[in-house]
Amino acid sequence: MEYHLGIPKLDKVQGGLNIMLIGPPMCGKEIFVNNIVHAGLMNGEGIILVSTREHGEGVLKWFEQSELDIEKDRERFGIVDCVSRTLGMDVSDTQNIKRASSPVDLTGIGVKISQFFEQFYMRARIQKTRLIINSLSTMLMYSNLQTIFRFLHVFTGRIKVADAIGIYVIESGMHDEQTIATLKQLVDGMIEIKEENDRFFIRARGLGSKLTEWLEYEIEGANIVIKGD
Amino acid sequence: MLKTGIPKLDDFMGGEVPPGRSLVYYVQPGVEGDVFGMQTLYHHLMQGGKGIYVTISSAPYTVREHFNEFGWDVGKFEDRFIIVDAYSALVGADSDERYVVSDPENIGALDETLSKAMEELGSGLVVFEPLSTLMDLCGEEETLEYVKKWKKLHMTYNNVFVCNFTAWPYAEETLKQIKEELFDAVVTIGGIAERVIFGQYFGVSKVDWAEVKKRSMLFKVFRPTGIRVYIPKILVTGAYHSGKSTFIHAISSRAVSVDRLGTTVAMDHGRIDHKGFAADIFGTPGQERFDPILKVLGGEAMGVFLVLDSSKPMDFVRAKQMLETARAHGLPYVIVANKQDLPDALSVDELRERMKVPKSVPIVPTVATEKKGVFEAFETLIDMITEVK
Repeated sequence: MEYHLGIPKLDKVQGGLNIMLIGPPMCGKEIFVNNIVHAGLMNGEGIILVSTREHGEGVLKWFEQSELDIEKDRERFGIVDCVSRTLGMDVSDTQNIKRASSPVDLTGIGVKISQFFEQFYMRARIQKTRLIINSLSTMLMYSNLQTIFRFLHVFTGRIKVADAIGIYVIESGMHDEQTIATLKQLVDGMIEIKEENDRFFIRARGLGSKLTEWLEYEIEGANIVIKGD
Repeated sequence: MLKTGIPKLDDFMGGEVPPGRSLVYYVQPGVEGDVFGMQTLYHHLMQGGKGIYVTISSAPYTVREHFNEFGWDVGKFEDRFIIVDAYSALVGADSDERYVVSDPENIGALDETLSKAMEELGSGLVVFEPLSTLMDLCGEEETLEYVKKWKKLHMTYNNVFVCNFTAWPYAEETLKQIKEELFDAVVTIGGIAERVIFGQYFGVSKVDWAEVKKRSMLFKVFRPTGIRVYIPKILVTGAYHSGKSTFIHAISSRAVSVDRLGTTVAMDHGRIDHKGFAADIFGTPGQERFDPILKVLGGEAMGVFLVLDSSKPMDFVRAKQMLETARAHGLPYVIVANKQDLPDALSVDELRERMKVPKSVPIVPTVATEKKGVFEAFETLIDMITEVK
């Protein structure tokens, strides 16, 4: 199965792929994630977003504020909210937001991911699903590398079996090389972002046949614009 | 002695868990297994017991909320229910609990707090929220050593020690110790997966105090109410106008029928929720012209209700024929002797004689219009489906 990421020039990937999205702070990773979510929803896919940085309602609000209409696709958008309960917010689960106890609660997060997979595939008969974890860096603040590795090991395996795609966001510069190298073992490809002289560049490797060149991009509102395109 | 409150599970473990014993719910990642420990604790509190819940990955108020989701108000047991908070310090949060572990990454600190809580509580039940999380924080070997220590301590206090354990890919030796050696009883909770996990089951893989009854049960988790043994398909068949649809509506918490001019033309469907068991039941049309769909409806059924109009012996042959057409022979089945309120209804013994049904096949008298006998029929069939041979 083929998936479209919604990122210009790095668009097509095959099902069963696990991808690490790595970049420095303030480079617009959030926008990349939301574009990946939006592209999936527009393609009729099921989306599972594990959010450790923004509570569920906040994620939905971004789309509203960005005038990206996902209202009619909401039932295919499952958010595992790891923030609300940690902050002590008095909120219940909704049809598309399930709350995990905390980013430490990997058991609970895992259950909620599985429930969304089941909901999309078995009940809604949706063949294509993308899982996005935003971000591994937050999870690594609460749990050690080995723990996150084990967690990811299980779910990267499930992505392959389900012919889905998995995208795992991580901050560069926040973790040591060994951490990144360990987690890289579990993925098939990378989307890398770098900053040079206040300009941002993106490239991909492992997604298609070869490494792409560094492409300069800018964020315009909710859009990613590749310069010189 | 302690009962888990999980339907069928106590039967599989010799009736109950003796004091001083340990039990692990060994859960495949992604399967909703944490409810097992919670349901066991709540059931124990409801029976008048005392309990400790050790939380490692959730704030205490989240734990209470989680219990409440299932309709389990643990607040009413505050005099004999303690939460040992091994979470708050981990995220730098304040805690209102009396027993707070100052440094959850130091297993010695947890041990110290837990010992104090146990001293206050005396004999009861201690439930550990994922032992795996403790292992992640404090290391596999160290955690296993402390589990051994706690087991001895629980024997001294005559406590039952229950752990939820998510079986992430730890070292093989660690998993082996958890699954085979450390605990007196092991309940495996897993998922049935194809591309995704679409069903969940539990089964006992080890019991030290009784003979293991190796049988897996499908289950579903309901909010409220908790774990229900789940039977995905029970077939209801029988001759035209025997009362199948009435039976399904009488026994179900919700049901729909595809009918025309008062008779079923496609199927009936109902969802039963009764005494810890949930089941989906499917009714066949009774008219012969619909026989081709009987095979389809009968596929993958786990048990059958054969509904008879007790006042119409001329239809009995047709009823038996339908059982065969639905390819339901060989499955556990119960004969529902319906319409017992009619003046010319045959008794159970007369029916058995007329139909030449062996004594091993239960016949349950019912009046579906008044819901009389319908749940007895359900309980009888459930016993047959879940029986350990």
